[in-house]
Amino acid sequence: MNEQNKAILLVEDNDDDVALTLRAFKRSHLMNPVVVVRDGVEALDFLFARGVHAGRGAAPPTLVILDLKLPKLDGLGVLKAMRADHRTALLPTVILTSSKEEQDVIAGYALGANSYVRKPVDFAEFLEAVKVLGIYWLALNQVPPPQ
Amino acid sequence: MKIRSKAALAAGLMLGTMAIIAVSIVWANAQVRAAVAQQRHSVEIAGALNNMRMVTFEYLLNRRDRARLQEQLVWERLQGLLAHPVGFDGAAAGTLANLRNQGEASHHLFGEVDATPATGTADDVQRRFEAQLSSRILILQQNSLVEAEQLIHDAGARIDETQQRVVLVTSLGLLAMATLIAATAWLFRRDVLGPIARLELATREVAAGNWSFELDVGSTDELGDMARHFDAMTHALRDSFDRLHASNRNLVALNKELESFSYSVSHDLRSPLRSMDGFSLALLEDYGDRLDDEARDNLQRIRAASQRMGRLIDELLGLARVTRAELRLQDVDLSAMAQEIASALAQAEPARQVRWDIQNGILVRGDRELIAIALHNLLANAWKFTSKVKEAVIRVGTRVEDGAQVCFVSDNGAGFDMAYASRLFGAFQRLHHESDFPGTGVGLATVQRVMRRHGWSVGAQAALGQGATFYFRPAEQQDERTEQGHPAG
Repeated sequence: MNEQNKAILLVEDNDDDVALTLRAFKRSHLMNPVVVVRDGVEALDFLFARGVHAGRGAAPPTLVILDLKLPKLDGLGVLKAMRADHRTALLPTVILTSSKEEQDVIAGYALGANSYVRKPVDFAEFLEAVKVLGIYWLALNQVPPPQ
Repeated sequence: MKIRSKAALAAGLMLGTMAIIAVSIVWANAQVRAAVAQQRHSVEIAGALNNMRMVTFEYLLNRRDRARLQEQLVWERLQGLLAHPVGFDGAAAGTLANLRNQGEASHHLFGEVDATPATGTADDVQRRFEAQLSSRILILQQNSLVEAEQLIHDAGARIDETQQRVVLVTSLGLLAMATLIAATAWLFRRDVLGPIARLELATREVAAGNWSFELDVGSTDELGDMARHFDAMTHALRDSFDRLHASNRNLVALNKELESFSYSVSHDLRSPLRSMDGFSLALLEDYGDRLDDEARDNLQRIRAASQRMGRLIDELLGLARVTRAELRLQDVDLSAMAQEIASALAQAEPARQVRWDIQNGILVRGDRELIAIALHNLLANAWKFTSKVKEAVIRVGTRVEDGAQVCFVSDNGAGFDMAYASRLFGAFQRLHHESDFPGTGVGLATVQRVMRRHGWSVGAQAALGQGATFYFRPAEQQDERTEQGHPAG
């Protein structure tokens, strides 16, 4: 378990949403370190320890929280690239997005998302959602052994 | 030449040939009749001549007066027969004249024979003269008989000849008719069956979707006209099909635009709202103790407004989805659906006492998902507007109007003034204050869209403070392709 740093990778381009998500984590008492990346390309750079994240070591995060609308490479593109690589093929990935369009939900699951959560406007509900997410994915859920 | 003219010509030729055959048969009939009469008459003449000969023999042998008398009678009969011939043609006239001459000659000679035969040697000269006379008479009579026989024979030959002529004319006529029929059949094949086969092929091709098929027929007859009209028709069809196709493409493009628009709405418009709500709450949580009541109230209002706008966006998207969704028709048990929705509503607000009166076995044919959305809106409405009534009753049922089934949802809640009924089904139209009954005003607009998608009519009847009844009339389902505003493909 040492190789896993228990970090959460938050892929989100909107500063407000980053701040609110981090606030929600804090208020849910989730102590895991959170790495924030701002676009799809950076997310893959981090996951595969290349580009700006070349020197960070290869340990994968415990959980990836992925927005769908992202600059450069969108969330579905990130997911596709992750599932195609053996290092991240089994990495738990939750799509957290504003969209509840049927086509997005279907595409997310089809590409191997483990969960699909819609960001509610009401922050109280959002808080609740993040709390449940954290408990489930970081405490309850058994993650696959590192590849 | 038109087919009609060709047909008239063929019929005329055919009738003409038949007329010729008929005339020749009538003529032959007359000919045969005359020849038979000639034959019969000739037989009578021959009989008379024979009698004459026998009477002459008798007289020459016995010289009795009775025989002379008889010769006179036979001669008169023969004369009558020869003077009034029946059915004789020109060729026989000569023979008849001969017979008349010979008869007269023989009768004349008969008159010269003495009543008493010559006897003894003294009358030797006389006897020789008589013998000569007798033989002359007999030879004349013999000749006459032969000629009469010839007349009988000629009549027979005439019959034969007429028959042969009739056979010839009939055969030629039949041959002409056969040729005509063959020619007509060939023309029919070339001018009618051929073009019809091409037309049939063309209709098959066009029916299969080959709009560019052209008959291109050069003939000027009726079928040529028809083929040209057919070509004109496929041209017109192809043009309107192309136009339809173009507008369909436009519609598809518009639909795509609408979809990407609603996608952006759902994504981009919601995130600022989330920020407004989230940071307002953060302010309240982190600095609430340093704010006065008014500031806290203001922050609450910001939050409420953000959340309300979030709901509005969601419902707008829902409305758009109702318009876009493809109809999947199936039998829907409206009663069971209403029961489910009712229990969900009751579960969400267990404190409320509402009597549900749902008729059993209401079946309609429609899209289950869309009907569920509409019914949910109607029942949630009824639930909401009966919230201030003590003994709330919500009924779901059917009645028959003009022979058709009409479904209704009625309640005994707040109702509304029918003066505003026309605004009832418009989006964001509300007939009550938000503070009395919360809502966005999209629900009934959604209901109406669902009904319109199905081709059903929808209406409402209400009075302020006396409840409201919403009814819809499930119509016979039309083919979805005829539905307006829903491009195929």
